Amino acid sequence: MDCKHAHSLMHDYLDNELAPDQILLLKEHFAICPTCKEHYDQLERTELMLFGTKTQHLEPISGFVTANIMASLPKKAKQRVWLQWVKNHPAITVAAMFFMVMFISALSFWNQDRDLMVKGPDLDKLIIEGDKVIVPKGLSVAGDLTVQNGQAEVYGEVNGNLTVIDGSMNLASTAHISGQVTKIDEAMSWLWYRITHLFSEVSYR
Amino acid sequence: METRLALLARKGDQRAFAEIVELYKDKIFHLAYRMLNNRHEAEDVVQDTFLRVYKNLDRYDENQKFSTWIYRIGTNLCIDRLRKRKPTYSLDAEMNDQEGVDGYSILPSDDRTPESELLLSETQQLIRQAIESLPAKYKTVMVLRYLQDLSLQEISDVLDMPVTTIKTRVHRGREYLRKKLERKL
Repeated sequence: MDCKHAHSLMHDYLDNELAPDQILLLKEHFAICPTCKEHYDQLERTELMLFGTKTQHLEPISGFVTANIMASLPKKAKQRVWLQWVKNHPAITVAAMFFMVMFISALSFWNQDRDLMVKGPDLDKLIIEGDKVIVPKGLSVAGDLTVQNGQAEVYGEVNGNLTVIDGSMNLASTAHISGQVTKIDEAMSWLWYRITHLFSEVSYR
Repeated sequence: METRLALLARKGDQRAFAEIVELYKDKIFHLAYRMLNNRHEAEDVVQDTFLRVYKNLDRYDENQKFSTWIYRIGTNLCIDRLRKRKPTYSLDAEMNDQEGVDGYSILPSDDRTPESELLLSETQQLIRQAIESLPAKYKTVMVLRYLQDLSLQEISDVLDMPVTTIKTRVHRGREYLRKKLERKL
C-alpha cells in the first residue's frame, strides 16, 4: 500500500466505513510507515477535539425564550382554514361566486330601474298620464298587461293577467280582468317573478 | 414524534408548535452560532428559521424526518448570511500595505463577554478560530458532523447533496483543521 492510498483509507476509517480486512491492511501500513501513523494520530486527535467542543459550555440564548418566538409568528390560522376550504372546493366556490354576482346585479337592476314600463298588446289605446296607466272604459286589452313603476287604473277589460310591479293599482267597478292580478313590490318576489317568467317564456317557445 | 407535532401544528395547534420550538431552538442556535460565530446573528437565524418553518408547514413532507427538514432550513439561512457577509477579497490573500497581515486578523470579532471568554480554554478558542476560518462549504459539513453529531447520510439529506460529496468535504475539512491545529496536537 502506498501512502496516498493509506490517506484515503484513514479517513474512511474515521468515518467508520472501512471493512475489517481493509483495516488490517491500514494497520500493517502504519507499522512500516511512521509518517502515516503520525498523520493518522493527528487526525484522530483533531476529531476528538472537535467532538469535545460539542459539550463545551455555551451560554443559553439570551432573553430568547419560546414565548418570544411564538409571539413573533404571524396570526393567520383562521384565514388559512377559509382559504383551505376554497382550495378544496373550487367548483362550489365558482358556483357561489356566480350566484352572488347574479343576485347583486338583479338587485341593483331592481333598484335602479325607476322608469315607467308598460308591456302588453294594444299599447296605443291605453292612456298614459305621467306614471298613470289607464285602461279606459269600453277598451278590451287582448292579452297580459304588465305595468312597472307606475299606477294602473283599470276601467275596461283585460283578457289576461294584470301584473303591477313596484306600483299601485286601482280597479274600477267596471273593470274586468279574466286572468290573475298580481302586485309585486318586494325584491324577492320580483326576483321570483323574473325567474318564473323566464321559465314560462322559455317553455312557450 | 416531531412529525406528529408538525402535523398538529399544521392544523393550527399553537401548543404543538411551541413544543417544536422548545425542542429545536437550542440546536438551531448552536448550529447558527458555530456557523456565523456571532451571537446576535445566530439569534436572528433562530427566529427566521422558526418563522419559515411555520409559514411552510403545509409543504413539509411527513415521509421526511422533521429534524432533516428544520436543519435544512436553518443551514440554508446560515449559508445565505455567510454569502452576503463574504468580502470580495480572499481571506488568505495578504494585504499589500501591511506585511504578514491577512484577512483573518481583520474579521469582525465576536461579541462574547469577557467572562465567557475566560470560561473557554485556550484550546477550545483555537478550535473555534480554526472552524471559523474554514471556507463555508467545509464549515457547514464540519459543524453538522461534529457539533450537531449528524451522520454522513443525514448531512447529505440536509444539504441535498450526494453522500460521496459530503464524505470528500469531511475529509478535506479534517485535513484543513489538522493543519490549523498542528501545534496543539
